[in-house]
Amino acid sequence: MTDSALVGLRVIDLSQGIAGPYCARLLADLGAEVIKVEPPDGDFTRRLGPFPGDVPDPEKSGLFIHLNGNKQSVTVDLDSDEGRAVLRKLLASADVLIESETPGRLAELGLSFGDVSGENPKLVYCSVTPFGQTGPYAKFTGNSLTCMALSGLMYITGDPDKEPLTTGGEPAEYFGGLNAWVSVLAALEHRGETGAGQHIDVSCLEALGSADEYNTTMYAWLGAIRRRFYSRHHIPTYPSEIYPCRDGHIVVIGGATGFPLMMAILLEQPELEEHPLFQNLWMRTIEWEAFEKILRPYLMEHDWLDLLTRAQELRVPFAAVMSPQTLLESDHLAERRFFGEIDQPGVGKLPAVGTVFRMSETPLASGPAPALGADSASVLEAPE
Amino acid sequence: MSNPPLDGVRVLDLTQVYAGPTCTRMLADLGADVIKIEGMTRMDITRNFVMPENDSTDDYWNKAGYFLLRNGGKRSLTLDLSENGGGSGIDIVKRLVAECDIVAESFTPHVMNKFGLDYDSLTKIKPDIIMISLSGYGQNGPWRDFSGYGMGLEPAAGLASITGYRGGDPLRTGISFTDPYSGIVGAGAVLSALLYRRRTGKGQYIDLSEQEAAVPVVGYALMDYAMNKRQPKRIGNRSHWYAPQGCYPCAGDDNWLVITVTDDDAWRALCEATGNPEWGSDERFADLATRREHHDALDELIAGWTREQDQYEAMHVLQKAGVTAAAVLNPKQALLDPHLRERAFFDRVETGQGPRPVPHQIGAKFSAFEMPSARPAPKLGEHNREVLQGLLGMSDDEVNDLEERKVIGDTPATAVPLPVMRMFVQWPLHSYGQMGALGGAEKDYRAQLGIEPPASE
Repeated sequence: MTDSALVGLRVIDLSQGIAGPYCARLLADLGAEVIKVEPPDGDFTRRLGPFPGDVPDPEKSGLFIHLNGNKQSVTVDLDSDEGRAVLRKLLASADVLIESETPGRLAELGLSFGDVSGENPKLVYCSVTPFGQTGPYAKFTGNSLTCMALSGLMYITGDPDKEPLTTGGEPAEYFGGLNAWVSVLAALEHRGETGAGQHIDVSCLEALGSADEYNTTMYAWLGAIRRRFYSRHHIPTYPSEIYPCRDGHIVVIGGATGFPLMMAILLEQPELEEHPLFQNLWMRTIEWEAFEKILRPYLMEHDWLDLLTRAQELRVPFAAVMSPQTLLESDHLAERRFFGEIDQPGVGKLPAVGTVFRMSETPLASGPAPALGADSASVLEAPE
Repeated sequence: MSNPPLDGVRVLDLTQVYAGPTCTRMLADLGADVIKIEGMTRMDITRNFVMPENDSTDDYWNKAGYFLLRNGGKRSLTLDLSENGGGSGIDIVKRLVAECDIVAESFTPHVMNKFGLDYDSLTKIKPDIIMISLSGYGQNGPWRDFSGYGMGLEPAAGLASITGYRGGDPLRTGISFTDPYSGIVGAGAVLSALLYRRRTGKGQYIDLSEQEAAVPVVGYALMDYAMNKRQPKRIGNRSHWYAPQGCYPCAGDDNWLVITVTDDDAWRALCEATGNPEWGSDERFADLATRREHHDALDELIAGWTREQDQYEAMHVLQKAGVTAAAVLNPKQALLDPHLRERAFFDRVETGQGPRPVPHQIGAKFSAFEMPSARPAPKLGEHNREVLQGLLGMSDDEVNDLEERKVIGDTPATAVPLPVMRMFVQWPLHSYGQMGALGGAEKDYRAQLGIEPPASE
């Protein structure tokens, strides 16, 4: 009989988009009861898709389903007195609120942390916004792209002769969601010690900026400004680059011990062990275009799984460039039962990306996402 | 303001490099006492990365900027865990486990077993211990023994398949994306386990695969494949949902602005704010579908405006009009950005080589407790005596004996780093500049950042 880590916890998810809802989904998968409070026309991700057959339907948005599994849905119009009263009532018995409104909006509605903590001093009130609650950009509109830009991470991503490139998948939103989740859990630990709730101000920009590996550090320690340079963010480890191969792409990484011998064996050209570009890391790094002329033709005659498997057998740390399809069909992930399956009403069976870590006593569980307002009656009419 | 929540929680930190240390750094920032274990023959390699003034003389391993970011506020204990230590290192780890709440490790699967430090063994020492293993591909499955370098895991998680210029090859982010990402996931996993322990008194084991942790970021493309069998397309800086969206050149060298036009109102606002109201009545751009169709033409028009603009001014002009826009800052500009400054995002950490700005490792501000203020990283073995005598009650003689047998110490046993390390320790700045991988190194950077040079100069 397994237990869940957060059983008994009640979360009101007033947030929309990606960051706040992903935070609340993690809490839900850990066993919390999560009530998603949506505006009458729903979280805007219900309108973003992807949709089966590309036919828009607020109950079939893939992104919404991905971010809102295991939640209940209640619709509330915060522009009405009744709506605000309903939210206040929900917050009176809640442990956690996640919200992502433009800073200041909830205060205008009489729903700031100060306004609601009087009735429920144990409430953990978490605001997740692109730029945080204070500062000159607080009321700017933002998304993952703007956070990638302002964090400095976009400047150092991409090819040197092209414009800076953002990372796919809206990563700043997910970093924001993870930081919100960690912060809520920390605040719950704090409440366990003190009995007191609090307000948490999460900035997706800062969540992403905290992930900066060493780019601001390069300037702060030695005055150097890194530029984007293909996929080579650790220049001295060349190659650690993505290259095309016969049936796709492969990450070619020499690692600490790959050169010269193991790479020569892998490329089935033992004489390369004596080649200066294999012997001398410094030369290889600077004269990388000459090295590519040796590498690329061989890769184009071989498949990624063959390259990956043989490299790893030689303890050369190649890696796969996985796609949604190869992830879903991966033997490795299947043996680890990484993808769950949900039966989403109106859509059918879908993979659930739920088991992002394994807890021996309290495993995470995924579930389908709710229809808009599906739980309004049962939640709002429940006795106190 | 009260004490941070993990005050009184102790973490034995056997992790190295980036992902694991991010996890334990977050726990340290939340108040935990984190004891980081390194070996003199196996010190954290990031002690080699990013030297002040690019100078790798003296005890360079105590000065690395990279190491500081993920290890600030921890205590350092050196222990030789190999057979050379005659088992003393492992014995000490076991005695420390009895004094700890959490054990974090990032070895290849099997290694903790080999040491006799697997979860089952640890529970015999401390029944309610929480243990987390962070590894590239997890503790089981056919890829579990794969060597998982950080730069391979972002593509392995699927991210590179949706990152790249239109029609181009997959690309990686300019950081080891999955390392900080899975480190944060690890911190949340540990906190979840602590809340469970608070309720039930039980510890548990957490198996975190860095590949798996980051897969949710690919959620949109996974759902599109599951629903429509559609392979992901690399769309550069464009959007699945909005048009136009892109990265546009601004006045000056390598200055850029990103813009997202989220709806028709925002489109008309952009036309007005840029002084081009006629774009707003152009039927090619009337709605999302037509703007998407004519995206290339739109990009040219917008770039024609941005090329004449200062990137910061253009951001303010557009944001004031209600258009989502942001300057693409280089790392120096990020350090100097007025918003991040006002929010004190960069701590000013006193190092032995003067104060340095260091980004917060948690992107949140808490109203009820203060996180420990900016702390430097520990020198190698700095807390050997403090931990062994203070926590384990060892005598001077016992500690001296460990020093003599080189189980503990304060100097790396590999004095000359591997060639790859050498190039990290001291960056060949000029050559990298010629390659185009580095912009200029600025001699007056400390004056620009407002951090005084050390007193000795």
